[in-house]
Amino acid sequence: MTDETITVPLDKDIPAQGGSGGSGEPAVKVVREWQEVWHRFAANKLALVGLVLVAGLLFTAAFAPWISPYDPLKQNLMNTLQPPTGEHLFGTDILGRDQLSRVIYGSRIAVFVGLVSIILTLLIGIVLGAIAGYFGRFYDTLVMRAADVFFAFPLLIGSIIIITVTGRGVWPVVLSLAIFGWATVARLLRSSVLSAREMDYVHAARALGAGHLRVILRHILPNSIAPVIIFGTFNVGLAVVAEAALSYLGVGVSPEVPEWGNMLASGRGFIGVYDYMWTLPSLAVVLTSLGFIFVGDGVRDALDPKLR
Amino acid sequence: MGRYVLRRLGQMVIVLLGATLILFACLFVIPGDPVGSLGGSERARDPAVVKQLREQYGLDKPLIVQYGTYVGKLVQGDMGEDYTQRRQVTEILMPKLINTSKLAVAAMAIDVLLGAAVGILAALKRYSLLDTVVTLITTLLVGFPTFVIGMLMLNLFAVQLKWVPVIGDPSDPVQLILPAFTLAIIDAALVARLMRGTMLEVLRADYVKTAIAKGVPKRQVLLKHVMRNSVIPVVTYLGISFGGLMGGAIITETIFNWDGIGMAMSTAIQQQNNPVVVAVATWTVAIFVVLNLVVDLLYAMLDPRIRLS
Amino acid sequence: MRLTKAMRWTVVAASTVLAVAACSNGGSTSSNGAKPSQNNNAPAKDGGTFRLGIVEPTAIDPYNTQESEGTLVTQALFTGLTSVDADGKLSNALAESRTPNDDCSQWTFKIKSGTTFSNGEAVDAESFIRGWTRAAAKDAASDVAYHMAEIDGFDKLQDGSATTFSGLTAPDPNTLVVKLAIKDCEFDLRTFHTVFSPVTKDAGPATNKTYNDQPIGNGPFKLDGPWQHNSKITLVRNDSYGLTKAHLDKVEISILNSANADQLEYQGFQAGQFDWARMPTEQLGAAKAVYEPKGEFLNWDANGMNYILPITFNGPLKSKEAREAVSYAIDRDAIVAGVFKGFRNKATTLVPPAFKDAYQPGVCTSCGKQDKDKAKELAAKAGLTPGTKLYFGYNTGGGHDAWVQAVAQQLKEVLGLDVQIDGIPFKELLKKEQGPDATGLYRAAWGADYPTPGNFLNPLLSTSAINEDPATHEVQGDNRGRYSNPAFDALLQKATASKDQAERTKLYQQAEKLAIGDDLALIPLWNRTQQRVANTEKWVNLSYDFNENPTLSKVSQK
Repeated sequence: MTDETITVPLDKDIPAQGGSGGSGEPAVKVVREWQEVWHRFAANKLALVGLVLVAGLLFTAAFAPWISPYDPLKQNLMNTLQPPTGEHLFGTDILGRDQLSRVIYGSRIAVFVGLVSIILTLLIGIVLGAIAGYFGRFYDTLVMRAADVFFAFPLLIGSIIIITVTGRGVWPVVLSLAIFGWATVARLLRSSVLSAREMDYVHAARALGAGHLRVILRHILPNSIAPVIIFGTFNVGLAVVAEAALSYLGVGVSPEVPEWGNMLASGRGFIGVYDYMWTLPSLAVVLTSLGFIFVGDGVRDALDPKLR
Repeated sequence: MGRYVLRRLGQMVIVLLGATLILFACLFVIPGDPVGSLGGSERARDPAVVKQLREQYGLDKPLIVQYGTYVGKLVQGDMGEDYTQRRQVTEILMPKLINTSKLAVAAMAIDVLLGAAVGILAALKRYSLLDTVVTLITTLLVGFPTFVIGMLMLNLFAVQLKWVPVIGDPSDPVQLILPAFTLAIIDAALVARLMRGTMLEVLRADYVKTAIAKGVPKRQVLLKHVMRNSVIPVVTYLGISFGGLMGGAIITETIFNWDGIGMAMSTAIQQQNNPVVVAVATWTVAIFVVLNLVVDLLYAMLDPRIRLS
Repeated sequence: MRLTKAMRWTVVAASTVLAVAACSNGGSTSSNGAKPSQNNNAPAKDGGTFRLGIVEPTAIDPYNTQESEGTLVTQALFTGLTSVDADGKLSNALAESRTPNDDCSQWTFKIKSGTTFSNGEAVDAESFIRGWTRAAAKDAASDVAYHMAEIDGFDKLQDGSATTFSGLTAPDPNTLVVKLAIKDCEFDLRTFHTVFSPVTKDAGPATNKTYNDQPIGNGPFKLDGPWQHNSKITLVRNDSYGLTKAHLDKVEISILNSANADQLEYQGFQAGQFDWARMPTEQLGAAKAVYEPKGEFLNWDANGMNYILPITFNGPLKSKEAREAVSYAIDRDAIVAGVFKGFRNKATTLVPPAFKDAYQPGVCTSCGKQDKDKAKELAAKAGLTPGTKLYFGYNTGGGHDAWVQAVAQQLKEVLGLDVQIDGIPFKELLKKEQGPDATGLYRAAWGADYPTPGNFLNPLLSTSAINEDPATHEVQGDNRGRYSNPAFDALLQKATASKDQAERTKLYQQAEKLAIGDDLALIPLWNRTQQRVANTEKWVNLSYDFNENPTLSKVSQK
């Protein structure tokens, strides 16, 4: 499953790779190329550790109802703030809810926000970056100045403002992360498009009468996408962290939702008094963040061995 | 060069205008009435006073008029009055800005002294124990979110060991230690990795090999070629990072009760104290853009191959 | 308007949870449990510096002093006509007498002669007129001037069509005559509020920034230099004070960061830097264990109430049965024990127990024990069927997250309602609550501005306190549940027009019985309970006042 998250978007682009028009490329060669990438990835031990962490996260998220010992929303006011026992391995929170179950369910929000916000960020960034780089001139100026504006806003401040406008919730968080994240992607893509645009095969394709969209989709993007994919894998972890940070600041998802940032926020006042409130969710955030960073490292090295 | 700077400054103005306009539009559509309740408290304001204040602050005007008035005043250095205490925003924010700057400078110093130094050492002594330890620690550290680091530090040094009081008097340098480290530690790890990486790359470069082969003393090679060339990405990174720091580190300031502009911002957003929100955002964006320019200029100075255009 | 610390925004504060760890003293704590030992017999020694931390006040200039922190400073700097003790008993301060005419439409205050401001200027009736006019003026846009709204001529001052206060006259320097636009036999209660302070001739208009930051008053203390914003305020004893002089040489007030001032205050206290402090709710249990045996832990029911405001003109809670069903379904005891660890006391009234005479425990019959059967029965009667959508709004940053979730859960479990929790910033919440489409439940709290049950019943429940804007149909008053009952209004009117205190109290009780007992227009949850640690090892006569502040003017060294 995790394999797919990394290779699927690449696979889609394969037919056009190196393309002089498209479909005639032998599939065998392409597969071999991606096998090489995988080999390079697999040779990176840290990347494999990351892969295990990410796989663990996805597994937890997918099977949360079966793994977690209790209903994460089940309150028990007779049993609040209990230290770990056999019954509640990581204790209970202020409303007597099982902390372990809440952390397990928290992985669902993390996965959702992490993946969806990055996909959205990439989509916006790729479209705008491609337009800027390919068409240049006016479009370039327009997109890049807009990118400057969004780039200059610190992510958290920008997101807080957006969420204040829209109200709290999972989608506002996803949206705000994408709104303040696309600028980097657009910049990355624009510069690779700029260089890809001048390649002979692009000129050839244009000369043969291919439309702009076709040229962009088939010839330019596949050759410019690598840095964006690397960015994407790295940033899933960062998006998870940003989401937790927003909830920590009280502007993320609703407080009743089992989510790591929420748990950390309510645990903050208990530092030194009842540390179970914040240690387990902290660990979850750290492992997730590390997992995606390691995988990102691996993907970068595998896709672009020069950068090693 | 002069023209380049001028053009960049021009772009900066556009970015600033764009950012503040977006901000204005956002604040305009937030459902609550910015002067609908008392200063910092939970009670509805007397309707007559609400009306008076709306008039006084021009809140009854259309968005574009409000924005125009704001820009007009901003040009004269007037950022308006806040809605709570009705004092000049600049007067309120100045001490907070100083607090944030203290934190930013301290964090930057840690980044450079600790991060860069460790990175250089690791690169020079590649594959040594030190290198391994540094790589391991920096690899792990970058996965720690600021709020986790902050809470760990607070718990360890303030609550458990009691080395540093939790109560914060920003004028006391001791107070700076925990938040500065919290803020710096991830960046320091990144700087160390970056420094090590670029150093290794430069050390492998042909011109360094040539220099050594020609018999130039190693020390001179290191200072003249290696350092100079490997410091460029680090400078870029630090410059941008400093911009972020000056924008106020909301999380760190919140955890350690550091009375800076990041915290002022998050409080002001909650209270819809819009003049403060706009002022901090304008400042943040401005400092970011200026630092970007400075970084680019530095870049050109450090690397003569780069031509500004 | 007295706004108490806990009502302030604490924004993303550490205290996002109202809870206390490591201490379950399950059930009720004794309120008014530990008043510190007061050694009144020993002669008070002058001297000493008293230190405490507060958060940055909105204002210390009486024209706009509003929350408890500002009141602490303004009351130290200014003395008005009357004062109120911790139990809400009114007594004369600068007034020698306060007399209403027959129908309470005019009040005459005799003012003590010979007292001065700290700059030597005499305090006379004109000083009061000056102060009141200044606060009521249009340009002042004062948040608290509305306390003067019943004085004749207030409206003209507010809309700028007059510059003098027509209802105020001074026949001689020691007599202040106040003409009211309505009849109010309790008007004198208001005059202890800081907005009724006298000011010096050079105070100027309310927009005078110099006076805003360094007001010259006639109180037991004076400022030692201007207010240093976000840093500190230093008070020194006013040796020319006209009433009983203070004993402290100096009061050092540190201004702390609002995000978790309570944490900083408590740590400062533990480190010996402060003599008085609040505590984070999470640490109340631990603090009590340490400081209560030493007599340094104060825990009392203050003049406030926490309740849920149901929208009574619209939506699912229109009927009284529906509201009662909600009230019966809430297990207050479990929340007090589990979430608040006993540091709150369950409420069965709207008028809090701090009003000893008027307090009628159990007036809210559905506020006692949780009764699931009764709740279901009433809900069925009211058409509050399982699956009904019920909005429940509350403001974030005030530490309400936990108990709101607990209440929502109970409503879901008992009544099967689809409770939609909505945590938003206060200003947004207010806008929603004021709007014509408001439905459901809203978290709310109220603190008394002056010590009368009328200050709960009138602004929160009377028809005139709805004050709907004819254009937008938004509620502008504090009665945002839009409860309206002519019989209730009549009782209140009778109460304010009655000169007999005992009769007034009785009428207020009847009114509360009607609005809360019969109609359940608001759903009481728990009393406003306050905790402080106070250094009573060092100080004598150190206790809390009506505004939950330390009694600075009485404190002396041991």
